[in-house]
Amino acid sequence: MSTLDMNRPRSGRTAFIYLLLSAACIAVTNIYALFGHGVRSASMDTMFLYPLLMGAAPYLLLSILLPRIRRRRFLRLAFNLYNSGVATLTVGAMLNGILEIAGTASAYQPLFMATGWIFAFIGFILFLIPDSGGRTDKKAKNP
Amino acid sequence: MNRVRSFFGKPYRWAAMYGVILALAFAFVLLDAFVIPKAQIKVEPQSTPTQPEVSEYGDSAGYIAPDAATDHTEKEDDNNADVEESPPVAPVITDTSYKDENISISIETARKNGTTFYVADILLSDASYLKTALAKNVFGRNIKQTTTAMAEEHQAIFAVNGDYYGFRDTGYVLRNGVSYRDNGNDDALVIDGDGSFSVVREGSASMESLVDDGAWQVFSFGPALVLDGEIVVGSGSEVSKSKNSNPRTAIGQAGELHYIVIVSDGRTQESKGFSLLELAEEFAGRGCSIAYNLDGGGSSTMVFNGRITNNPTDGRRTGEREVSDIVYIGYE
Repeated sequence: MSTLDMNRPRSGRTAFIYLLLSAACIAVTNIYALFGHGVRSASMDTMFLYPLLMGAAPYLLLSILLPRIRRRRFLRLAFNLYNSGVATLTVGAMLNGILEIAGTASAYQPLFMATGWIFAFIGFILFLIPDSGGRTDKKAKNP
Repeated sequence: MNRVRSFFGKPYRWAAMYGVILALAFAFVLLDAFVIPKAQIKVEPQSTPTQPEVSEYGDSAGYIAPDAATDHTEKEDDNNADVEESPPVAPVITDTSYKDENISISIETARKNGTTFYVADILLSDASYLKTALAKNVFGRNIKQTTTAMAEEHQAIFAVNGDYYGFRDTGYVLRNGVSYRDNGNDDALVIDGDGSFSVVREGSASMESLVDDGAWQVFSFGPALVLDGEIVVGSGSEVSKSKNSNPRTAIGQAGELHYIVIVSDGRTQESKGFSLLELAEEFAGRGCSIAYNLDGGGSSTMVFNGRITNNPTDGRRTGEREVSDIVYIGYE
């Protein structure tokens, strides 16, 4: 698996994108509420927290505390899985909200949340795995 | 493996692929919840209770097609004297009432608190004339039909939407003595074989025990509005975070085989809609010892003699919404 050269500008940019996504979530929530006859859903009202607290905040911290991350195996996979987890949790929250507002439910709802948390957890663990000193992908030199 | 690594090593490929998968999964869940019909049980034909004699006003149920209603009313006006002088074999039908030897229904249109609402006062000689029907005679999720279509199919004299059971996977469903679903955790309305209403907590009373005790219909929506003559909802009570004023459908019992059904218009400039408390007050004021809220919003529809009495709307567009089930008065 290729590795990723994470540096300050890149983490900072990702944090900024997550901030925009968080704002988009708030906008979607409020626009949806206009058509919901006053019905609101806690899931939808709080979905912006996923990109904010699991996206923008950690990437911002990362850009400050670890301005340079050493290239290593699984690093790109770690970030891919973590970001996918955050995306799944956000979409899952929106789905929960839509179904709650409509007054119905789906057996598939828990799958989104479970998948999201599992991906985010695995991504986080992979990020923490120290470099074993093994081979790194040659392409990592030019990520 | 190296190809996979290489493929996903390119910027944004993982994100693009996963984004597509996530979008497809999202669309599938929405379609599954709202659109894809899942028929589970076909409704068996029910035994038919005592039929009145066929009259010149329509078929045995007294049902008349919408476009024929005026003609029948005129005939009825012409023949009023005959009807009064002889036993009421033929139903007497007007725009706002129906009466035969077994069924008496009067519809009143009223206005209160900025809301137009319709009250059906129903008297029956036998509980078997209070019936229910499922859309397309099938139990399942997303199996839908308009209240009017179901009423016509079952030759209902009077019908309102039911609890829209097919929009959820939980909540007791017992219709015409047949149990279709026995999971849930809400307050359910039980109608016994003798036509008596009661409200039970799903889970604490099993469907089996309800059937053993003589339950004939069970609805799961709620909440209960009136119990033992007392209003049991407050100004803050709502149906799962729904806003206070809405189109509503609710049914209550005022006495033995005496029922009140109220449907309110809502979500329009002309009629804001009832809160649950306002609805409960209306039932209590009309002498109901028990009343229960059924599905409302865009589902709220009252059909009388084949015509829609209220103004159904979901707040965005007017017109009837398809629903899972109806409660109706009739012979079929």
